[in-house]
Amino acid sequence: VNETASPLDKTVEVVLTCGLAVSALLLVAGLFIGAHSLLQAGILLLMLTPLARVVVVTVGLFHEGDRLFGTVSLCILLVLVGSVIVATRL
Amino acid sequence: VEPSTGILLLSGAATGLVGAMLGLGGGVFLVPLLTLALGVPIRTAVAASLISVIATASASATVNLGRGFVNMRLGLALEVATSLGGLAGGIAASLLTRQQLFVTFGITLAVMGVIMAARSNKRNVLPDPDTDPGVLGGTLVEDGTRYVYRFKRLPVGLGASLLAGAISGLLGLGGGIVKVPVLSTFCGIPIRVAAGTSTFMIGVTAAASAFIYFSRGDVVLPLTAAIALGALPGSLLGAQLSDRVRARSLKILMAVVLLAVGARMALEGL
Repeated sequence: VNETASPLDKTVEVVLTCGLAVSALLLVAGLFIGAHSLLQAGILLLMLTPLARVVVVTVGLFHEGDRLFGTVSLCILLVLVGSVIVATRL
Repeated sequence: VEPSTGILLLSGAATGLVGAMLGLGGGVFLVPLLTLALGVPIRTAVAASLISVIATASASATVNLGRGFVNMRLGLALEVATSLGGLAGGIAASLLTRQQLFVTFGITLAVMGVIMAARSNKRNVLPDPDTDPGVLGGTLVEDGTRYVYRFKRLPVGLGASLLAGAISGLLGLGGGIVKVPVLSTFCGIPIRVAAGTSTFMIGVTAAASAFIYFSRGDVVLPLTAAIALGALPGSLLGAQLSDRVRARSLKILMAVVLLAVGARMALEGL
């Protein structure tokens, strides 16, 4: 029982749990049958989970009418997207 | 010689457990364990640690969110600085030698350990529950009592977060090792909220540099997969347990670990 967890907190919790559960399944399967493609997919999905979390928080905050922190969250999203872009060009 | 999958799963589980208990990603323990005890090259260890940190941080955030230990707005404000630092650190990592990485790692930890030990007696919650917490402050319910805390010294918080991000990208940590002590000793944030908010942030910090390591080919698949997989149950358990440990014990445990690991890592680089 908690008074301080907001609906957005709950949504973020669900997104994180789903990302972790699916990537864990991929990693278990990949290690079990020795499939590198599954391991790669599992690790990529794990790396994308925080990115998905930032997308959800950004949308959620704008939806709540919190433009200030929605914009802050959008900046974080841009840095992460920037990092993916830098990574693909290496 | 590559360590066995069983050893790697256990390493991930153990570092995830302790990391989640302290509001860290566990990279601070994982990198020394992999390099010093298991003979993994430091760059491979750093890359594996970043992935494992994402797993630990995300798993413990799910627990901490439900408890109200995550101050999301504070996390977001500081995350801008950490993610920029993380990106810069990830790019800069290739410029440092192995020795420089070890020494930087060791000194960072030892300094944070000293700060934590020196301030372990300080309480951050305010006595009057009707105090206005401000935009970045908040409330915390512990043992049925409602506490209010205010966020102090935003420039210190932002500076520490930028540094935490850069260190994270360089050394394969989430940066919790810098943020939790700074938030708790200088910024007025209770240790549990500092830890909870830290776990919420460090997945993003680690991700900002993980993509760079991944495309550079530093992520060794079976090794990283086994560690990350072990880290998931370990950190879920660690986050559950953190509730039962007293705040002061958490601080002292953290200080001791920081000093010990820091000294060992610095020696390795000298």
